[in-house]
Amino acid sequence: MVGIVVVSHSRALASAAVALAEEMVPEDARPAIGIAAGLSETVFGTDAADIAETVQSVDSPDGVLILVDLGSALLSAEMALEFIGPDVADHVKISAAPLVEGLLAAVVSATAGSPLTEVAREAELGLLAKREHLGYEDAEPDVPMSTDELPDFTSGGVLHYTTTILNSHGLHARPAAALVAGLRGIDATVTVSNASTGKGPVPATSLTLIQTLGLRHGDELEVTIVGREAEDALDAIIHLAEAQFGEAPLGPNADAPTPTPPKPKPADPTRTGRQIVIGPAHHVSITPDISEYVPGSPEVELARLNAAIGQAGEILDELERAGGLGIYQVQSIMLADDITQAKLREAIASGVSAVDAVQERFTALAADLDAIPDAYLRARAEDHRGLRRVLLRILTGKETSTAFAAGIMIINELDPLTSGSLDPRLCQGVITTSGGSTGHGVILAQARGFAVLTGRPEAVDISEDTNIAFDPVTGELLIDPSPAQLDVLAAKQKERDADAVQAAQQAHDPALTLSGRQITVEANIASLEDAVLAMEKGAEGSGLVRTEVLFADWKTAPTAEEQAETYVAIGKALGGALITIRTWDPGGDKPLPFLPQDPEANPMLGERGIRAMRRNSEIFDEQLRAILLASRETPVRVMFPMVTGTLSVEWGRQRIAAQRRLVGGSIDQGIMIETPAAAIRAEDFLGMADFISFGTNDLTQYTMAMDRGNARVSSIGEGPLPAVWDLMTHAAQVFKGKPVAVCGDMASNPELVSRLVGIGVTELSVRPPLIGVVKQAVRRV
Amino acid sequence: MSLDTSSVVAWLTDFASVIHDNADLLTDLDREIGDGDHGSNMDRGMKAVAELESASFPTAADYLKKIGMTLVSTVGGASGPLYGTFFLRVGTAWGDAASAEDLGKALRAGLDGILARGKAEVGDKTMVDALTPALAAYDEHASEGIEAALNAAALACAAGRDATIPLVARKGRASYLGERSAGHQDPGATSVTFLIEAAARSLA
Repeated sequence: MVGIVVVSHSRALASAAVALAEEMVPEDARPAIGIAAGLSETVFGTDAADIAETVQSVDSPDGVLILVDLGSALLSAEMALEFIGPDVADHVKISAAPLVEGLLAAVVSATAGSPLTEVAREAELGLLAKREHLGYEDAEPDVPMSTDELPDFTSGGVLHYTTTILNSHGLHARPAAALVAGLRGIDATVTVSNASTGKGPVPATSLTLIQTLGLRHGDELEVTIVGREAEDALDAIIHLAEAQFGEAPLGPNADAPTPTPPKPKPADPTRTGRQIVIGPAHHVSITPDISEYVPGSPEVELARLNAAIGQAGEILDELERAGGLGIYQVQSIMLADDITQAKLREAIASGVSAVDAVQERFTALAADLDAIPDAYLRARAEDHRGLRRVLLRILTGKETSTAFAAGIMIINELDPLTSGSLDPRLCQGVITTSGGSTGHGVILAQARGFAVLTGRPEAVDISEDTNIAFDPVTGELLIDPSPAQLDVLAAKQKERDADAVQAAQQAHDPALTLSGRQITVEANIASLEDAVLAMEKGAEGSGLVRTEVLFADWKTAPTAEEQAETYVAIGKALGGALITIRTWDPGGDKPLPFLPQDPEANPMLGERGIRAMRRNSEIFDEQLRAILLASRETPVRVMFPMVTGTLSVEWGRQRIAAQRRLVGGSIDQGIMIETPAAAIRAEDFLGMADFISFGTNDLTQYTMAMDRGNARVSSIGEGPLPAVWDLMTHAAQVFKGKPVAVCGDMASNPELVSRLVGIGVTELSVRPPLIGVVKQAVRRV
Repeated sequence: MSLDTSSVVAWLTDFASVIHDNADLLTDLDREIGDGDHGSNMDRGMKAVAELESASFPTAADYLKKIGMTLVSTVGGASGPLYGTFFLRVGTAWGDAASAEDLGKALRAGLDGILARGKAEVGDKTMVDALTPALAAYDEHASEGIEAALNAAALACAAGRDATIPLVARKGRASYLGERSAGHQDPGATSVTFLIEAAARSLA
């Protein structure tokens, strides 16, 4: 790959230009980019010796392109080439391109694997899009992109494809870069034109030329492909177009979401996150060392901060693309938060270093959340600390590496970013010494198949390299286990492995009990990606679509049409099986940005679920209308959360009836049984609920008067709880003959499946990765 | 006699002190038509040159080359590569500078380096406008010995410098000003005149 060197009078300018250009391409695909700018962080100037060294540091047989700003930058660059000698200088080019435009084009072109001449040409065409936009007469490219260079399409084997640009801002630099990058490495010549305006064709390898097509929202993009791998190129383009060239259709201004298939998962079916692990203990510190950080001027610190935020954003994007369950996307949004960024900049402007500003801000954000004993809010504190770690790591250039010798990692807490960096080839399992089981990082690690044991303070005292073993299902932790103990574990694991393999094989078969009763095993869905993953794992629909999580990033309430599109997409992703949409369930630990709530002294007992809808009936009606609209295209039912009495259910049914008069549609209506009141008086709801679904987590905490996020009391909720079982048994018996579902964590526990089926449960809605094992558990009942 | 390291030290020490005393003047001139950093840039570069351990260089030529590299890395503006090239080339062509002709050749090599680096021509309102007539005068008087040749060069250099005042800049940051650059003395021509004047004082 061609290397790039930026020569500028100002280091801050060069760093910012590089950060801007790097945004265009994924981190792992970037060319080597060197900066030779400024005599120091603050003194303007260029230094030929520094440039020569920098060129050599990014040099490869593919060559190096040097971009310069003004005046002495050019003289110094030329001088540098004399210093480094003809061997290297022969494949180094100095570009006449304008720095920012040229750099951007060069980075994209180099990423696509273009040769030096092509990268240099792309850079020099960097001004073209601007000139064209401003209507310069000579803007039409001449020599560099004469039609002579376009392939001969008159011969056979030509593929054509036309698609409408759906991106709201058209095919601007970022999506155009996605197109260029998407075709990288495919042996085919692709040209694109704007069929709506007649502009083009231009080669699809050129970011600059693609931008000159002026493809706006609604324009027709026409693609012509020839070459050995033309069909691969066509596939790639169709995928890109469907994904709107990488512009995630999220947020209030985006178009309809499109399911993107998750990346292939490791094929090992025994890695379910439930496997017993044995290995040497390794304590891992994830606190970056900031002691050697040398702060610069406020301008420099700001540039560093901006660059670090940009880089962190890319890391998060990359992790999300690799299957982040939407969690990294939420982190991105937290990182991009206006107030957070404003406070960071304010601190830097007042003379605080970027490192200290990041340290203070994110520590404060985490501390605010830490003060609350709620597990879900504590999980967000971990998210903030994770962002702090990654920013400090980038700023100090110090790896707080989680790369370590093979074994079991003992770590303070598992934030999402640390979780994303776990290497399955090295890490057998993770033990957290603080931190609960509901954190985002833990969920992600489990989804990736890591065995995780959470909240084990005693693990702090385990000596490095001691052999340890743990069972993530039972929570059993053995330090220096005896051979006999290991034999027992191995036998247990063997059984579980065989089970997991069989579960994977039969994932798509129905789950029948030994007596032939079919139990529907569904998935809990919080994102479109969940639905795609669930389908892959054999889900038979969804017993819980968490709408408040699905739209958690929206600042304004999504319209009925916007919601309906997402619900339909989820239904379709699950192969058209029945999905259960829970109406907005805000409050407690799940605030909705578009549904602000007053602070409550005791939010778990406050305006949660359907209670919160009474004062927000417009938002509620809009959602009901969306569910009815969706029901026209895919099977859907609706369920009300946090029901305690019949009044709220009657009210909800009336609102549905009113919406149905407007838009038609027909849906079953059910309630969640997650309060003792609803369970005890289940018969009251018989006439008004077509089905019930147990929210076992809340039902447990409300029955046992036990905050499930408070580690000191949460052990009360472990094991079989007769009070909870009695309530469930009663409600299930009352609703005998109607669907009785469980969508809480109890359903995801294979050990409890037999008992749940025994009390009359007919549907189990579980975490997507566990569908296979739960089905397997049903088959043993 | 040949010009050894101590002669070069004398030359550069003189030049450094003149640059330091006139840093504000150079900066003011540059502020009129450029980016206002010529004085401080040159002063920073020459301070770094003054800190070199002249005794550690086996020959005057090595010392001159090191001066060139030092200026390249410390001046920062366009004068860095230009003065840097000048001294690198002068060093390479220095030989033992036993005669006026030898010194003339070395200085000529320096000017050629500046021309190649900056691609400026006479009349572009640059240091070349002072240095070119200076070396022509030097060559004319070379037969009279180093002292006479350098004195003639210094006078011609100053005249060339003054002649930059009415010119319109065609190179460097000043060229962005176009016609407005006329009426100002070129800072590069000014500093290079200090260099030749210092040579006339210390190498003779």
